[in-house]
Amino acid sequence: MSAPTQQSDATPASDPQAVDLDAQRSLKGLPFWANPRFGLLVVIAALVVVFSSLRSSFLDTGLTLVPMQQDLSVFLVVGLAQLSVLSLGHMNLAVPRMAAISAFAMGWCYQHLSMPLALGLLVGLVVGAAVGALAGWIITATGVNSFIVTLALDFALVGLVSLLYSHVGDGVAFPVHPAGMTTLRNDTFSDYCTGNVCGPPVPLIVLFALAAAVLVAVLFRLSRIGREILMTGSNLTAARLSGIPTSRRVIQAHALSGALAALAGFLLAINSGAFSADIGNSFLLPSFLGPVLGGTLLSGGAVSVLGTLLGATLTEVIQTGLNLLNFSVQDLNIYIGLVLLVALSLDRVRHVLAERRGTRA
Amino acid sequence: MTSTVDPTIDPARATRGSSRLRALTFLRGTEFTLIVLSVVGFVALASTTGGNLLTGPTLTAVFQYLAVPILVGLAQMAVLAVGQMNLSVGVVTGFTAMVAAWLMVHIGLPAPLAVIAAVLLGGAIGLANGLLVVLTRINGFIVTLATMTVIDGLRYGVNGTGTFQNYSSGLVSLGQASLIGVPTVFILALLVAGAVAVFFRRAALGRQLLASGGNPLAARLSGISNDRAIVVAHVLSGLLAGVAGIVVVALSGSVNASIGDDLLLPSFAAPIIGGVALTGGVVAVLGTCLAAFIVRLVDVAQAQYSIDQSWVDLIVGGVVLGAVLVTQVRTGSREGRRR
Repeated sequence: MSAPTQQSDATPASDPQAVDLDAQRSLKGLPFWANPRFGLLVVIAALVVVFSSLRSSFLDTGLTLVPMQQDLSVFLVVGLAQLSVLSLGHMNLAVPRMAAISAFAMGWCYQHLSMPLALGLLVGLVVGAAVGALAGWIITATGVNSFIVTLALDFALVGLVSLLYSHVGDGVAFPVHPAGMTTLRNDTFSDYCTGNVCGPPVPLIVLFALAAAVLVAVLFRLSRIGREILMTGSNLTAARLSGIPTSRRVIQAHALSGALAALAGFLLAINSGAFSADIGNSFLLPSFLGPVLGGTLLSGGAVSVLGTLLGATLTEVIQTGLNLLNFSVQDLNIYIGLVLLVALSLDRVRHVLAERRGTRA
Repeated sequence: MTSTVDPTIDPARATRGSSRLRALTFLRGTEFTLIVLSVVGFVALASTTGGNLLTGPTLTAVFQYLAVPILVGLAQMAVLAVGQMNLSVGVVTGFTAMVAAWLMVHIGLPAPLAVIAAVLLGGAIGLANGLLVVLTRINGFIVTLATMTVIDGLRYGVNGTGTFQNYSSGLVSLGQASLIGVPTVFILALLVAGAVAVFFRRAALGRQLLASGGNPLAARLSGISNDRAIVVAHVLSGLLAGVAGIVVVALSGSVNASIGDDLLLPSFAAPIIGGVALTGGVVAVLGTCLAAFIVRLVDVAQAQYSIDQSWVDLIVGGVVLGAVLVTQVRTGSREGRRR
């Protein structure tokens, strides 16, 4: 069994588990602004005001808001895929390639078996879950650190995916468009009216992302399996001694991560209009950005789905805003990296301040 | 560079007598396996290609392009020694290469100065990484993920997607040259590897890094600053990435901002196959070099047999996983026998 918390923690001198528990405990008695989610909300609101005053097109429905929601749906699900294993204190560096190989499976099913959209999606989810479960199984069976296992798996899948595309597909993408794909891509709820009342300008695929978010939140908050996964992440030995089948929980969390990566691949394929080999390439950084900005601990034992949504939203707002201000892709990277650093440092400062006030009171 | 950790004078190990012996045998085992694997792989490759591998230009290329993987592997190893990770290794290599070329082409700096400036730049980035980790107490993985993104942008900021060439004919001919049949860049990589090995084996600071990585609490109680160890490790990692950047500049004759894109995963592959633990406290310079050589052999095989490049990734992934599994099985069975 790996214990990646110890070596990846920034304060090697102290026991990270103890620190986390302290942090959790002290948060309850702290002022509301000590909550990282609140800080994110303020920053998002401020940025929206800034960007929309600089460029009025920032609030344009068709030009900005709808594409933003489409991108956000993908990155929310990508973040959730990472969050599923962060709950264990594990990492999944193979999220990009799990999405890629599932997208291949889905594209192949649509192309060669002419499957309906929903059935193909199901196949993709199963493939993703299977690859994830494989990663989880290797981790539990060998006790090797999840970082290494998923890194090596990513390596292997990079090769496998492009081999599959060049031998089975026709090079880079499946040209197939199963029934319903175009509808999912183009339609928003405002296209569906009953009488004079039309839906809000929300793309249909947002539903998929929200459903995934709600499911993951319910899983970790209410279900027995979810709670047991969190306990496994928070203290492996204690969880095992309490009779939790920790190996099975690890495999399940990784399978969930794989399935969510598959869903993200599906959503991206819908957005971009093709099941292609480059799906997933841009997933690694966003998969960490959302959960980490949202306050999910890398050391395991605590997750925040709402925080992941806010973290992903913040990244998306910055990207769209800087795009509108004609920043190049490279400049974008600089600013997103800086925002990540500043946000995390501020989080630290806020936490320290809040704790000081807490002890004084 | 022949040895890795001499456990008799390792302060981290001194506290854990039984694991000391185990670690020693395990390290020897890993390196021995790697040596056998390298030799077998090389001989097999040389014989199946009908001796083509042993002709001058091919053999030179094999070792010329081994220098960068060795250096980035060592750069990653330096931070793994204290239990940290550095995701910015690849982009720092690319960034320093771009800056070195830019200094020569646009500023007109002589090559030696540009080389020194680029290496120092790598060290400065490492210093920033280390200070951020220590001052903010944010996980090193996240910090370097963020700086990786920033530097990725800066890397393209130097010259967009454009290419620098014709910078310093002296530097390039030096990079392409060979000394008694051995490429100069490979010699440089070996010298650096030797220096890193001596640093971790003999220098007090190097021992402190290992002690801190192996057992931070014990290290602190022995008067070692864990914070300083983390900063030093990151600086060393940045310097090594800077050297790798210089090698790229000297070797290729033209550089663009895509350099470093494909270096992050190999930087982890080399030390991990080489027997370095992610938990810190262990370095394996020889193992890292051998692992880089094995990965290079896979690359060469791909070129010699004109195999699809995708197979390389597939095989390297398999090899990393296999190496880890073998190590685990071996230590596992040994532990079992002890009981």
